Amino acid sequence: MTDNNDYLLRTENLFKWFPTRIGILSRTVAYVKAVDGVSIGIRRGETFGLVGESGCGKTTLGRTLMRLTEPSKGSVAFEGTMISALKGSRLKPFRRKMQVVFQDPYASLDPRQSIGSALLEPMKIHRIASTKSEAKKMAGELLEKVGLNTDHLARFPHEFSGGQRQRIAIAIALAVKPSFIVLDEPTSALDVSVQAQILRLLRNLQQELDLTFLFISHNLAVIRQMCDRTAVMYLGRIVEFAETKKLFENPKHPYTKALLSSVPVPDPSKRRELGVLQGNIPSPVAIPSGCRFRTRCPYATEKCLNLPPPLIEVERGHWIECHYDIDFAAASKVEIRPRAT
Amino acid sequence: MKASKPEGSQSSDRYGRRADLKYALHLLRRNPIVLTGVAISVASVLLALLSPLIVNPTSWDQQPLNLRLCWNNPIVNWQIANVFNCGGSAVYPLGTDSYGRSLLQMIILAIPVDLEIAFEVVASAVVIGVFFGGLAGYKGGIVDEAILRVTDVFLAIPGILLAIVLIVVLGRSLPTLTIAVLTTWWPYYVRLMRSQVLSEKEKPYVERLRAMGAGGIRILYGHIVQNSIYPVLVQATLDIGSVILTVSALTFIGLTPSPLLPELGNLSNQGIQYIFTAPWLILFPGLTILIISLGFNLLGDGIRDVFDPRLRR
Amino acid sequence: MRLYEYVARRLLLMIFVLLALSVLIFYLTRGLLPPTTALAAYITPRMDDSAKLSVARALGVATTSCPSYSAFVSLQGGCVVPLWGQYVGWLENALAGNWGLTLLPGISGTDTTWHVFFSRFPYTAELAIAGAFLTIIIGIPLGIVSATHNNKLPDHISRMVSLGGYSIPQFWFGAVLQILFVLYIRVNGSGLLSANSTVATRCVICFSGVVPGEIARYSGIPLLDGILSLNFPYFWDSGVALILPALTLAITSIGAISRIVRSSMMEVLRQDYITLARSKGLKENVVIYRHALRNAILPAVTVSGLLVAYLLGGAVIVEIVFSWPGVGNASLAAANVLDINFLELYVLVTAVIIVVTNLAVDVIYAKLDPRIRY
Ligand SMILES: Nc1ncnc2c1ncn2[C@@H]1O[C@H](COP(=O)(O)OP(=O)(O)OP(=O)(O)O)[C@@H](O)[C@H]1O
Ligand code: SF4
Ligand SMILES: [Mg+2]
Repeated sequence: MTDNNDYLLRTENLFKWFPTRIGILSRTVAYVKAVDGVSIGIRRGETFGLVGESGCGKTTLGRTLMRLTEPSKGSVAFEGTMISALKGSRLKPFRRKMQVVFQDPYASLDPRQSIGSALLEPMKIHRIASTKSEAKKMAGELLEKVGLNTDHLARFPHEFSGGQRQRIAIAIALAVKPSFIVLDEPTSALDVSVQAQILRLLRNLQQELDLTFLFISHNLAVIRQMCDRTAVMYLGRIVEFAETKKLFENPKHPYTKALLSSVPVPDPSKRRELGVLQGNIPSPVAIPSGCRFRTRCPYATEKCLNLPPPLIEVERGHWIECHYDIDFAAASKVEIRPRAT
Repeated sequence: MKASKPEGSQSSDRYGRRADLKYALHLLRRNPIVLTGVAISVASVLLALLSPLIVNPTSWDQQPLNLRLCWNNPIVNWQIANVFNCGGSAVYPLGTDSYGRSLLQMIILAIPVDLEIAFEVVASAVVIGVFFGGLAGYKGGIVDEAILRVTDVFLAIPGILLAIVLIVVLGRSLPTLTIAVLTTWWPYYVRLMRSQVLSEKEKPYVERLRAMGAGGIRILYGHIVQNSIYPVLVQATLDIGSVILTVSALTFIGLTPSPLLPELGNLSNQGIQYIFTAPWLILFPGLTILIISLGFNLLGDGIRDVFDPRLRR
Repeated sequence: MRLYEYVARRLLLMIFVLLALSVLIFYLTRGLLPPTTALAAYITPRMDDSAKLSVARALGVATTSCPSYSAFVSLQGGCVVPLWGQYVGWLENALAGNWGLTLLPGISGTDTTWHVFFSRFPYTAELAIAGAFLTIIIGIPLGIVSATHNNKLPDHISRMVSLGGYSIPQFWFGAVLQILFVLYIRVNGSGLLSANSTVATRCVICFSGVVPGEIARYSGIPLLDGILSLNFPYFWDSGVALILPALTLAITSIGAISRIVRSSMMEVLRQDYITLARSKGLKENVVIYRHALRNAILPAVTVSGLLVAYLLGGAVIVEIVFSWPGVGNASLAAANVLDINFLELYVLVTAVIIVVTNLAVDVIYAKLDPRIRY
């Protein structure tokens, strides 16, 4: 989307379709279009937010760009290497640089593995420590870094609270000294008070260790608090993308406007123009023609029914995919660029 | 599986597992049925291990004619007209068999024979199940399909017949008996392990391990299998009894290496011919099978209750 | 996936299973031993070599170009039909409905494999059906009582019964039953058990001395033929003769099924909608039978597919112990002489029964439980 070269990770027109098999001969007849043409670039050192309703493909995008699943089409470049084309052991060096923290801290730890063992495992896989005692020392340090202590090494996951487990998951992710971490709704399973602590911890770690985050959430308040730039996802595509501040203060895409208006705002006078979103999100198997948001969009026109909206830069660094704002763009004489795809 | 664990974690693991084990033992202790099962199975294993010390393991030759089918037990009287006492000072607590050997001694010699086969069959079935079932569940696709179709074939034939044919063709010996029973047994373990792995591999920690760069072998055998093996081990415990039943049934119907061999089914086979003249000959070997098999079933049942995730936590 | 597609797919798989099984049995009986063993049961020392050679040719083991029996025995080149050739020959015959001759005696009629097998098969069917019947009418109530009286005396008793049944050696149980009935109950004087202890062919509480074969054989199943020909004594006799073997056959599966019913019933009884039904003030019996049992029975339905396989396998042992004139008993004899024709027919028919019942169970299960999809 931009020409800046300081990207840690870039995706180019990324697709992930899950085939749905039916019939005697397992003929493929339909696809779940979980990621349907996504081009994003994540800058070194930033926190990149990804927001959208449940089922819009956030997790799948995260998995695809970490190469946990093979993209159906398109490419992912990490530090300039096309990791989407790599397989098997050639991926291993990149596994060391990219890590992931999942939403559910209960399920993302092996229940039969002690915390110490879980922390040492990645070090062993990537041969990070040269001696056993060094590895142990590092494991202890990691735990202290996330606010736990060395005594916890011998314990098992079920002996910890949700927040503590999420700290452990973070510590394990850090064990390989990664530069990039996908945080897939890291706090949505936690109490609000614990959420705040974890978010603070993540910010501190980011500064201390020079990390880059992809922060996935459907909680707008958390996104606003954490992210430098934010992309809004709808049915497998990024429909709006801007610096977080701009996005929240001046959303352009009808979907974003609707999303933001559905966030409870303490002061009623500051409510946005739109009502809450009407209707349900369509199935990712049968994505509407033209603009995929048109079934729920209050501004939908004939054009939206037939033509996929182009990607336009409404302001510097603020992109949307919508026909509606073309008129706006024309009025404010902002250059219209063709769709990147 | 051990090798895949970082060395540094050994001591800590042991600590945690010990706590786990303690809790399990605590639950076991509260359950009298399970305790009975533990007692019987431990006793039978001990008896099997000590049996060469109690009875000379090579002393199962035929004895003189006059020692056959005697009931030299002064305490118990069968009250059957044709049960006779062979005289002499020797006491046979469970009588003698049709070859003139002490039935008690033969049973003591037979227990290790049956238990050994049972352990060999079950252990091999578990290993095969963990390997192929794990592979099928984890890899999916064509590997899964191929392994499943092979088990289909073996599950569509009554196991006992396959075992009979195998023994007839391969010759009657204890190893053949083991192989024949194993051939009918392994598919269940492949299926069981596969279904366990299928549900376990969907858990997020598996994806986290992949993201960490862990290889398939480490994830499957170091994590998934370890987390899903309990139902398999419970089944294995229950199956010790079932294998003994199958093996003794096979020898009972005459598929035996030697009619003299002290083996529980074999001993019962002699008994059925003397069912009216020497009822002990069928009674005690069968009872021994029943008790051992019951012991392992009680144990397996108890372990299942203890490790049932719905009852724990 | 639609139901018929699913069924069609499973039936296609069944053909694969049947082919693979027939290859397996063929390989085991013919492939592992020298080719002369295939003849062993058919030749006598008195036969001359040309007679032996023609037996070998008739069995499809020796080629037509083989000059002499000694050439065949010494495995001279071109004398022995290769294994796959033997198999293809056998398969062609079998597909054409020609299953060859068997060495085993039939109940009546000729000695073609097909005849012998199907004259014996009704006896096994009768035994297996009776076993299944006993399993269901004893096993399921036992499991229910266990669950509804959890940890009380009835539960302990029924658990002991089911565990005992599951642990008891069938052959031994059958033998002990015979002793109890004949030795201690002394139903009908003495001498009812023949030397090799058959209860099956001669019954214990005999009405008449009707021997199987003197009656019109409509189905071949004695119990059914007795009714159909309105021959009550025959019906009674066959029923009496059936009780002990059927009970012996069922004892293991009673234990298995009651344990399954118990655990699924207990799980259902713990669930919210049962508590709700109770709190609505429904009678406990209504709760148990109308609400809980319906849902608890599902797992029992799934295992009944396995039950059929289990009973057919168990029948081999039970038939031997009771000298029952069914196919299970014959299959041991067939294995002992490596009678490939009989073994193949036995294995394939049993496999069809097992696969089809499993399929039927899956379909019924899917119909009963709307959550299941194919
Ligand atoms: N392995 C898979 N096979 C088939 N479909 C899948 C698979 N993974 C995800 N999907 C489908 O892709 C779509 C997007 O799922 P995804 O988990 O990426 O959404 P999400 O935005 O992360 O939702 P949530 O906020 O609930 O986590 C969903 O419709 C989901 O059912
Ligand atoms: S393109 Fe049309 S339907 Fe889509 S968001 Fe814009 S205005 Fe609405
Ligand atoms: Mg998600």
